[in-house]
Amino acid sequence: MLRALVVSIAVAVAASATAQTVPRMPDGKPDLQGIWQAHSRAAYGLEYHDAKYLLPAGPSVVDGGEIPYLPAAREQQRQNFANRAQADPLSHCYLPGVPRIMYLEHPFQIFQTREHVGVTFEWSQVFRLIYTAGQPTKHEGIESWMGNSRGRWEGDVLVVEVTDHNDRTWLDAAGTFHSTALRVTERYALRDANTIDYSATIEDPKVFARPWTIRVPLHRQTDLPRLYEYQCQAEKEEANGEFERDPQTWYPAPIPEGNARFDARASANLPPPAVTGAIRRGPDGKPDISGWYELDAGGGNYGLESSPQIFLTPASRGLVVDPTDGKLPYQAWARAERIERALPHRGYDDPTAHCFVAGIPRSHYVPQPVQILQPRGFVVVLFERMAWRHIVMTPRPPLPDHVRLWQGDSAGHWEGDTLVVESKSFNGKAWLNEVGDIVSHMQTVVERFTPVDEDTIVYRATVTDPIPYTRPWTIEVPMHRRNDELLEVACHEDNQDLEHLKQVRDEYRAQQRATR
Amino acid sequence: MTRPFTAFAVAVAALAAGAAAAHHSFSAEYDPERPVKLTGKVTEMRWSNPHAWIYLDVTGDDGKTVNWALEMTGANGLIRRGWRREDLPAGTVLVIEGWQARNATPTVNIATVTFPDGRTLFAGSSNPAARQQ
Repeated sequence: MLRALVVSIAVAVAASATAQTVPRMPDGKPDLQGIWQAHSRAAYGLEYHDAKYLLPAGPSVVDGGEIPYLPAAREQQRQNFANRAQADPLSHCYLPGVPRIMYLEHPFQIFQTREHVGVTFEWSQVFRLIYTAGQPTKHEGIESWMGNSRGRWEGDVLVVEVTDHNDRTWLDAAGTFHSTALRVTERYALRDANTIDYSATIEDPKVFARPWTIRVPLHRQTDLPRLYEYQCQAEKEEANGEFERDPQTWYPAPIPEGNARFDARASANLPPPAVTGAIRRGPDGKPDISGWYELDAGGGNYGLESSPQIFLTPASRGLVVDPTDGKLPYQAWARAERIERALPHRGYDDPTAHCFVAGIPRSHYVPQPVQILQPRGFVVVLFERMAWRHIVMTPRPPLPDHVRLWQGDSAGHWEGDTLVVESKSFNGKAWLNEVGDIVSHMQTVVERFTPVDEDTIVYRATVTDPIPYTRPWTIEVPMHRRNDELLEVACHEDNQDLEHLKQVRDEYRAQQRATR
Repeated sequence: MTRPFTAFAVAVAALAAGAAAAHHSFSAEYDPERPVKLTGKVTEMRWSNPHAWIYLDVTGDDGKTVNWALEMTGANGLIRRGWRREDLPAGTVLVIEGWQARNATPTVNIATVTFPDGRTLFAGSSNPAARQQ
């Protein structure tokens, strides 16, 4: 008995030692995948800082303790700090930039393939796409908030050069700033299975006397089973009343009492898309759908039903394939609401006019490219208009009913060569397009990604939503793989249209009040 | 000066046929009852998403100069068609046709752009009238 105990303890110790070695990918590179977060005061101040209101004290994470500012730049940083309540770009929910996004106290999930490391952040569903296979930059010298990230492996260390920064981000809440000459060199080294030693070397000869380095460990979030959403600007506008609740669609709106019966089984029984050529396959024999895609959106963002051009609203060829008449099967009240939403005074109510996430399925037919990654256990879609969605390919428990998300909760599986994705747990805040086609929090979506030749996917989405509709309906959108790269759409950062739309709405409301 | 205009011509002509990256309803923002035609000098090209903007100083009949904001498609659409921010230098004279904002501010959705040499070009934005030409 005692001997058995000794043996089992020895086995346990050996297992513990094994766990300290780092996980690796099939190609032998360290496997950085998983959910990570910094537990650090770096986001408040990279140098040692005393506590201030909403700013907890913390030690320096800078090698040598102090940032080697040029004298005038140090003075600018002090002014930034004094004005931080308004001057900090993060107080406006602007994209945080690199490296600041890496040590915000929000979790992020890393995905890794042979060609990319994708980093998807809880904070406003920002992502970074790091090219790790030596791909040359397709769009040289385009400044952006999150920069251009090119990675390479030096032994077991992922080294990422980040260039093409704009000069509108800070490196911390203490006002540490930079110019467009900024160059950041990041290093990601797995210390053990649950720790990444992260460092970033900052070079900017217009602001700093010499390069300097910060070190912030990243910790695997073993208690966090998945990422949720923190839509900074949407939460801010909801809190201050600038984005108003829609009582008919937002969780937990009920099914209206006067609704016609919902026929959940109505279906045109569409045949599957015709496969016209050989398709790409991964090492496991499953279709390889990774890559950069242009969506043949057909004007779906201006109407899911076929519609002509009306003033500046483009025509739509109509994306609805079921019902076969191409009409959305609206409840009578919802058809009236849809017509109302297309009027000028409702243009402000479209969440994407605020630059919020487009939701599902709209994200797949707004006129913008997408990048699909196929890492282990997931299909990840990165939308150029700065949002991501994770499609989990291994079953996980459903979310509790009260957990509601803009992009929903998506699980995928393969049926033959078709990726089938089932999504639910939506918050009901999205519109289906800028003329106001309707979905509610009760929508469930079944999407089918069918590769039909080497570079074409036929995308179908069936929406079942008993609040605005009388039966399920299906849209179809072809996707074309192209040889291009995502750029960045920093949307609300430079959104000048919303204020105009708000004035149109406010003027309408004032007229309504005056006539009453 | 030849190269910027050539690049601009190619980029903008391509946009006339291409998809725009609209993120909000232009019909809601702009007024079909307010068509405008403006001639002025470029003061700035704002290289932004979801829409890029040209700023134009326009001197009115009353002698006052107003800086108009002229909305185009997003910067990414221009980049993918080979346009760069240097390609429309300040001081360039343009003739713009489009629709003014419903709130009557000096804001215009661009339908056409004419250069001093008389060529008429189309500025994309999400303007379907421009796209159909």
